[in-house]
Amino acid sequence: MGGVVTPIFKDLSMNVTLNWLKTYINFNFSPDELAERLTMLGIEVESVKQLGAALEGVVVGKVTSIKPHPNADKLVLCQVDIGETNALQIVCGAPNVCEGMFAPVATIGTELPTGITIKRAKLRGEESHGMLCSEKELGISDEAAGLMELSSDLSIGSPLTEALGLDDTVFELEITPNRPDCLSMIGVAREIRAETGNDLKLPHVALQEDEADINELTSVTIDAPDLCPRYAARVIRGVKIGESPAWLKQRLESIGVGVINNIVDITNFVLMEYGQPLHAFDYHKLAENRIVVRRAAEGEQITTLDEEERKLTPDMLVIADAEKPVALAGIMGGYDSEITEATCDVLLESANFQPSSVRATAKKLGINTEASYRFERGADPEAVIPALDRAAQLIMELAGGTICEGIIDVYPGQREPLQIQLRAERVNFILGTELEADEIVQILSRLGFGIEASQSEENMYQVTVPSFRGDITREIDLIEEIARVHGYDNIPTALPKGDIPIPPPNISVEVRKRIKHFLLGSGMMETVNYSFSHPNCFDKIGLAADNPLRQALQLKNPLSPEMSILRTTLLPSLLDNAQYNHNHQIDNIALFEISTVFIQAEEPARVAGILAGEIGGGVYGNPYRHPDFFDIKGVVEGTLEVCGITDYTFNKTDDLTFHPGRNAEVLLEGARIGIFGEAHPTVLESYELPYKAYLFELDLEALANAADFSKRFEPIPIYPSVLRDLAIVVNEDMQSDVPIALIYSTGGELVESVRLFDVYVGDQVPEGKKSLAYTITYHSATETLTDKAVNDLHDKVVKRLHEELGAELRM
Amino acid sequence: MKAELEAIQAEALEALKAVKSSNALESLRIEYFGRKGKLTDVMKGMGQLSNEKRPIIGKLANEVRTALTEAFEAAKNSLNNQQQEQQLETESIDITLPGRKPAYGKAHPVMQTLERIEAIFTQMGFQVVTGPEVETEHYNFDALNTPPDHPARDLHDTFYLTDGHLLRTHNSPVQIRAMENQKPPVRIIVPGKAYRVDYDVSHTPMFHQVEGLLVDRHVPFSELKGVLVSFARQMFGDQTQMRFRPHFFPFTEPSAEMDISCTVCLGKGCRSCGHTGWIEILGAGAVDPEVFRAVNYDPEEVTGFAFGMGVERIANLQFRIPDIRTFYENDLRFLHQF
Repeated sequence: MGGVVTPIFKDLSMNVTLNWLKTYINFNFSPDELAERLTMLGIEVESVKQLGAALEGVVVGKVTSIKPHPNADKLVLCQVDIGETNALQIVCGAPNVCEGMFAPVATIGTELPTGITIKRAKLRGEESHGMLCSEKELGISDEAAGLMELSSDLSIGSPLTEALGLDDTVFELEITPNRPDCLSMIGVAREIRAETGNDLKLPHVALQEDEADINELTSVTIDAPDLCPRYAARVIRGVKIGESPAWLKQRLESIGVGVINNIVDITNFVLMEYGQPLHAFDYHKLAENRIVVRRAAEGEQITTLDEEERKLTPDMLVIADAEKPVALAGIMGGYDSEITEATCDVLLESANFQPSSVRATAKKLGINTEASYRFERGADPEAVIPALDRAAQLIMELAGGTICEGIIDVYPGQREPLQIQLRAERVNFILGTELEADEIVQILSRLGFGIEASQSEENMYQVTVPSFRGDITREIDLIEEIARVHGYDNIPTALPKGDIPIPPPNISVEVRKRIKHFLLGSGMMETVNYSFSHPNCFDKIGLAADNPLRQALQLKNPLSPEMSILRTTLLPSLLDNAQYNHNHQIDNIALFEISTVFIQAEEPARVAGILAGEIGGGVYGNPYRHPDFFDIKGVVEGTLEVCGITDYTFNKTDDLTFHPGRNAEVLLEGARIGIFGEAHPTVLESYELPYKAYLFELDLEALANAADFSKRFEPIPIYPSVLRDLAIVVNEDMQSDVPIALIYSTGGELVESVRLFDVYVGDQVPEGKKSLAYTITYHSATETLTDKAVNDLHDKVVKRLHEELGAELRM
Repeated sequence: MKAELEAIQAEALEALKAVKSSNALESLRIEYFGRKGKLTDVMKGMGQLSNEKRPIIGKLANEVRTALTEAFEAAKNSLNNQQQEQQLETESIDITLPGRKPAYGKAHPVMQTLERIEAIFTQMGFQVVTGPEVETEHYNFDALNTPPDHPARDLHDTFYLTDGHLLRTHNSPVQIRAMENQKPPVRIIVPGKAYRVDYDVSHTPMFHQVEGLLVDRHVPFSELKGVLVSFARQMFGDQTQMRFRPHFFPFTEPSAEMDISCTVCLGKGCRSCGHTGWIEILGAGAVDPEVFRAVNYDPEEVTGFAFGMGVERIANLQFRIPDIRTFYENDLRFLHQF
């Protein structure tokens, strides 16, 4: 379901025009009203365009006389009649201008599509009151060689748009894939019938056939009835291929269909009218003048209309003559049998093909045509004959010729119309409406459904589905139709009445929330990165060759190599972010991300972060500073703390992503749940970072499992604490937590806390030594400690530090 | 003696006026109240007075003493005040110097939007559930009434893995998983990432969706409208207009898209809304009976609705970022804006 992304269920585009629709049904909607109505019926109107809107002010003119321009050889002075009392004098330089010519005149004040505004002007000293235009100047075509010649039967002075049939409105419709019936003018007119209740005015077809029996002239054999439910044909003889009349060209051009010749234009016109694809063969180019509908033979080929040679496979349905394929069924005709100027006799095909077969073949060959578009979604098998007859009649009218007697109609897929039981109360149950039975009946009949009340059951209806609505197979489909025509906005609005289910507790949501708040509060920005990664990211972060994190899932159809695997760790993304920002002169890098990663079949969640460059405010009184190991350690400790986890340990690792002496894994009951530390210099080099970077990554699942939010009150101490500072000199390689452990073990319950507040190496202490300074807080829960008791205990601590760790007291 | 007392009072009060420092004040105090002070001397002479005069003069002496004590006290306070004022004046600072603002991070703009959407639906009793992003064809398509042959699947915009799995193209598979694991009533939302092969100014190959599902014994279409209208009011404000249009999804019937009045032109029509005044924000519909059958729910026994929305799209109604790929560059100059 939608988003900013392209919807997965793509809509199909179909153009219709107001005037064209009005030939099939009466309605009084303005263009905007029609757009609104169609949209609310589920046919989204993507755009509404006034044809020829840019041609306001351009009228039909007649050049009544021409005389030379006194001051210019290439210009002439024309007197042009635009239906007003006085003819206009217009200076013109077009080579084809001549007396008696009808041409478009842009009157004073007109703004042409090219952006030019016509003004009264003097050209080389002669007044010009307008402009005679070429097609290019009017934005109609690229023809710029001379004036656009208009037919002399046009009314002088009439607006050009009207004269050319351009005063129409084009609607670009988005047709959902379940509604192939709306990929036609009549289909859209049917929707308007549902809205208005007005009758359809279908084209009147009355064929005059000649004596020749079609069965003598051709035959149709369907060898693959599973893929071709119906195939019908007519033969028209003695046609004259030529240009289509203006009205037909206008119709096609108005919806953006290219004009070719009268026969092809007629098949396209009827395709748009009925949604039924047709194909015209040159009768004499069909071997034995007959049609066989069959699967292609292994190794067969066909050159299609686009002059591409196509290799066929036996799963593809073709239209063949006695010898070879002559068309890809429902997709595209063959080049060799196409209509040419020499064509005299035509075999006209109107057929129905199985949708998935057409789709598979079209996809395999990479062809997309108006025909395949419709067959793939399902065409109406009952439109085959009306469309064929309509086209035959138009051919006779517009291209001459005679129609042979009879029609060939092979219909192996003929079926009884589908009947569906509809419960009236189910309609209201599903929709939350209170529709009356007669409203339901009216809506369905306007949509072309047959509907009869059941004799035996009350409120039960027998609904017959029209052949053009292959998408309707169930009661729920009928309910949607009723809802659609009734109007979604007329359905009441109610809040759910059902019980609210009790959700199970979800600790990982809580853990995630707490960690996020902590990290944001620590000054780190949240990032969101793509789940995709480049396979080289593992080398860049220095993973060992046998590191299991290298076993990433791979995309079969990635957008690019940079996005070809699914990430197994968040660290490369954060390093990429650091690099990106550094490259844009942003060096205050404190970022984190919470996301799932993809470890084979598992999708564990991780939290990871990076500190690099400069942290702090960067202002007077709060200068920038470089982060160090203990910044990232503090972030990790805080993260564990907000999860209520205390029994963790840190342990140095030989993980190659990190500086070998400045990293630690986080262990919970001996299991690694994460790692942090300073990025290894080679990693920094890979990401072209000129400064140190500190990284951490923790397993959120493990944190959630270990999280403990069960806090208990502890009494606030009643007796005062006593503080003692202690500075000792120890060997430089001693870890700072060793003396702490000894202090705790010596003091037992009386040591409340030990806090390291200084580490010093330098002149004041001997070479190879360092000074560690601690504040020890002594406290008893049962009494006020006397000075003597504290002194005795403190002395004992000092003594043990000296005896067991060789620590000297620093004065 | 009376005159003497009055003279001392007048003299002392006069002297106090000239005192400029606390040291001077202290000397003056000693001059009058000290052991050998002027007032003390007078008081010492009281004993020599007659019994008649003593009470009268005594009373006067006390009055003078009290008056002077008060005057000294007042002078002391005034001096203290002056001193404090002087002190404070010297301590004045340039308040335009920068504040030491504690460092704080900001949630990613898409996450901020996602969290707002989640909060609104959680208040309406929807439970947040999640599910895998790597999916099977079954959960992503088949169980959602989109069989292999369906045109909806024929669109080349699904990311497939080399092992035959796919990246979910929507969060709807989680609805199927949720229904498989629980009996009605179900009232869930599924926030999370989804993927489609698409990359341009208005498309990112990874994006976020919030899907919702409510299934119960009787959930009419009118309740779908109610929940989504309530959501839109809370998300976009009370003044927002809404409309529902019929649409098509294989897994819902009837299906709808919901529009809200354009947030840029407030419904008048502008470039952002294609001059319609409306902006599509989500798809929805009554759960298709086939979907219920796929999870062994009886469509005659339960009904429900599902909806889904793109978080980036909703975020961008507010932020108006011209190229939504900017969301995933994680440029700090960008992230700091939200």
